[in-house]
Amino acid sequence: MSGVSLRNIVKRYGAVQVVHGIDLDVEEKEFVVLVGPSGCGKSTVLRMIAGLEEISDGDLSIDGRQVNRVAPKDRDVAMVFQNYALYPHLNVADNIAFGLRIRKEPKDKIAASIKEVGEILGLTPYLERKPSDLSGGQRLRVAMGRAIVRRPKVFLFDEPLSNLDAKLRTQMRAEIKRLHKRLGATSIYVTHDQVEAMTLADRIVVLHDGRIEQIGTPMELFLNPANAFVAGFLGSPPMNQILAKVGTGASGPVAEIGGQKLPLANLPDLQNSVGREVIVGIRPEFANVATEGMPGQINITLELVETLGSEALLHATLGGDPFVIRTDTLGKLRTLDAVTGFTIKPELIKVFDGKSGMALAGQVRKE
Amino acid sequence: MTVDQDRTGVTTEELSALASEALHHTERSRMVRVGDHLKREWQLYVLLLPTIIWLLVFLYKPMYGLQIAFKDYSVFRGVANSPWIGLEHFHTLFGNDQFLRALKNTVLISIYSLMFGFPVPIILALMFNEILNEKFKKFSQTIVYLPHFISSVIIAGIVITAFSPSAGIVNTVMGWFGVDSIYFLTKPEWFRPIFVGTTIWQEAGFQSIVYLAAIAGVSPTLYESAVVDGATRWQMMWKITIPSIMPTIIIMLIIRIGNMLEVSFEMIILLYQPATYQTADVVNTFIYRQGVQGGQYDMAAAAGLFNAVVAFVLVMTANTISKRYSRTSLW
Repeated sequence: MSGVSLRNIVKRYGAVQVVHGIDLDVEEKEFVVLVGPSGCGKSTVLRMIAGLEEISDGDLSIDGRQVNRVAPKDRDVAMVFQNYALYPHLNVADNIAFGLRIRKEPKDKIAASIKEVGEILGLTPYLERKPSDLSGGQRLRVAMGRAIVRRPKVFLFDEPLSNLDAKLRTQMRAEIKRLHKRLGATSIYVTHDQVEAMTLADRIVVLHDGRIEQIGTPMELFLNPANAFVAGFLGSPPMNQILAKVGTGASGPVAEIGGQKLPLANLPDLQNSVGREVIVGIRPEFANVATEGMPGQINITLELVETLGSEALLHATLGGDPFVIRTDTLGKLRTLDAVTGFTIKPELIKVFDGKSGMALAGQVRKE
Repeated sequence: MTVDQDRTGVTTEELSALASEALHHTERSRMVRVGDHLKREWQLYVLLLPTIIWLLVFLYKPMYGLQIAFKDYSVFRGVANSPWIGLEHFHTLFGNDQFLRALKNTVLISIYSLMFGFPVPIILALMFNEILNEKFKKFSQTIVYLPHFISSVIIAGIVITAFSPSAGIVNTVMGWFGVDSIYFLTKPEWFRPIFVGTTIWQEAGFQSIVYLAAIAGVSPTLYESAVVDGATRWQMMWKITIPSIMPTIIIMLIIRIGNMLEVSFEMIILLYQPATYQTADVVNTFIYRQGVQGGQYDMAAAAGLFNAVVAFVLVMTANTISKRYSRTSLW
């Protein structure tokens, strides 16, 4: 089994600890994405798996074998770097063959591998070209070719799409996904882009300040964020988070926001919690727009309507906090300027503890 | 008058007027851009000024005096009034055994310097790059750079002392092994190795800075990628470092070839003596003796001009070859 197991992995630079006890099991053939803001330690974790950074503490196993002290070349991993790390003086074929030549593989095997990889990645017409003569997307393909040619147990990707423009990024994202399906290799992918994480991952690991905030499938994390950080990190636009106090309404607990009462689900943690500070989380796509006179609406102050084509983003404020609603434009574009509030089902609202930011118990939603 | 018309009905004359106006407009807008740039970045141009003045005064203005290579120059008549004599000085030079000997020595010393002296800074830079202990790296770099900052007179003094037959360290060490003392600096056969070795010792460290800077510019991810692929440090040096700094090596080689005939004049003057003229006298020392000591300024100018023309041809050839085969060139 070509899985990767991290047990209480710690990284220290002198007295500064940047990774605080990471525990993670990556299954064979799984595509796991490490996501988080800049400086959260995701690249450091990846580089420790590759063997480019020493592990200060903890155990790292690949394919059931502890590899803490094993040289990178003997870990049987391949890495695609952020800037692709292509050798500028070598052509595409030689770049792809570099690892095989270093390992002194037979010449006929190298030639066959170059041919095969060239065909898989659509690089056959470019094999004689130097990296400087290639587009960004082609360079990324060469970098991937160099990784797959060795048939390693584990693929590591360090933000490979960050240097591409938006259109090419979408295209290459799909190519990476297709390649993973085709090769079925265990892959660990680092990105700060939550869209990449959501679209590519079998499971996402959200990191923050060197700690894992949550691990789960993209939809698990989207629907059931473990805390306010994950809720705010995943989703575009991110979840609206409004500080409120718990009150009582006609049919159960409510969140009191600027004198308005927003009905909440009857969660066990909200029983007898009047006055407790909570963070109310509302996904922009879960709120339904309401206009003047519609019953049960929570009033907002609309500031701006951004039309994106089939949908629009309404930028408003609620209780002094920014509040965004994502809505369809079909048949209602002209009425969007008249939006005065929103309605939402209580079970679609996430409630987090006001101090710790942790989600209150009993809010699990199925996909 | 017949006037051509294209399919849009515009006459050739109108087209040409439009083109001329467009050209004028482009020219004007370029002038405006240059003017704006000068106004905005004037501080940078002020910084450039001393170098330009230096070049004009010391390198361009003296070119006026080059004409004396083709004249029967007299100090009293001046450069302008001395009579033209064509290529007579060049004929004399090429009939002069001393000049031909100096030319041969210059070429040989240059070739030896290039062969042995050019790779040393590259090797030094590669070695410095492999030193992992920062303190030792800085210490060894300082030691190797140091001779560059010592005056040539002192360097020559050190060399003369080191090779002295009575108290020199070289002869002392040779004596330990029962080898008789040799007065190296009076033996023509020893001059070239001593001279080439001395200039390498004096300049190789300092010249290695250029290559160290080029190595510093190589992306660390290239090495990391190679580490993951299983490359050893030796393989990384051959397969990444050297190819990555190859453009710098080629540029430095072109410059070196351009300066090939500019053999270190001071060091030769300081180290040579009549006993070693046979292998030590180079074009520059010949010019010095003829021009400054012998007062034959026109003959010395002819020798100097010949030197410059050969250097020009060499640098042009090297640049063209490099451009064609490695896509790296000075211009």
